[in-house]
Amino acid sequence: MGEYMPTQLDGVFNALSDPTRRAILARLSGSEARVTDIAADFPISLNSVSKHIRMLERAGLVRRSIIGRDHLLALDAGPLEEAQAWIEKYRRFWDDSLAALDTYVTSRKEKRK
Amino acid sequence: MNAALATAAVVVRRTIAATAEELFDAWLDPEAMAVWMRPGSILNTKATVDARTGGRYEIVMQSATETYPHTGVYRVIDRPRRLVFTWISRGTEQRESLVTVDFFARGAGTEVVVTHEQLPEGAKPSHTEGWTSALARLEESRRQGSHRP
Repeated sequence: MGEYMPTQLDGVFNALSDPTRRAILARLSGSEARVTDIAADFPISLNSVSKHIRMLERAGLVRRSIIGRDHLLALDAGPLEEAQAWIEKYRRFWDDSLAALDTYVTSRKEKRK
Repeated sequence: MNAALATAAVVVRRTIAATAEELFDAWLDPEAMAVWMRPGSILNTKATVDARTGGRYEIVMQSATETYPHTGVYRVIDRPRRLVFTWISRGTEQRESLVTVDFFARGAGTEVVVTHEQLPEGAKPSHTEGWTSALARLEESRRQGSHRP
């Protein structure tokens, strides 16, 4: 089946496997935010928040731009779309297969009649 | 299967006007598989099957330009209720994923439910929350967010 490349998606799925990181992404899906603003939203240390953010950056889900002293973070949904397309391929694979199974089994029954 | 695992999976279902036995057998019969296991652009499928628990299968699907081998081992063969097998393919990057096929009586027909899980590393059950729903939520919130100026 498919010619997709899951390697780069591992980073995306790993990034999404943690509730804090998902919350950060959800926060950024509304608007860009400074690292310090995001840190203030979570009851964990700035250091921990920074680690989560770095992981999201490595997965390509978050972009950082530095403006003066502010580190501004923005969501990059590109990799999410790839991840979704990858899941969609599996869904379609089995959907098509079950449709074909339906045709196969019911046409055999017709023949026997 | 617990709820967390269920969300970390692709689930597809279809109710077919046939008995559970007929449908179950079609999953293990190479002749039947050659006919119906041809999703999308697949033109030709050849299957070899050792239909017992611990037995191996190989399904080679061919499109006009590519060959896609799939291999795995049967974990559960409970005719006509449940079939569980591992699934290794180019699509899973040669890593093991798990396919469960359940057959439920629905009136005169049978509902076939395919659950494909452990796709890929990040979706392992040790990560207790599913990413499929997370993706859906994110996608939704992103769309809402994109309306902002």
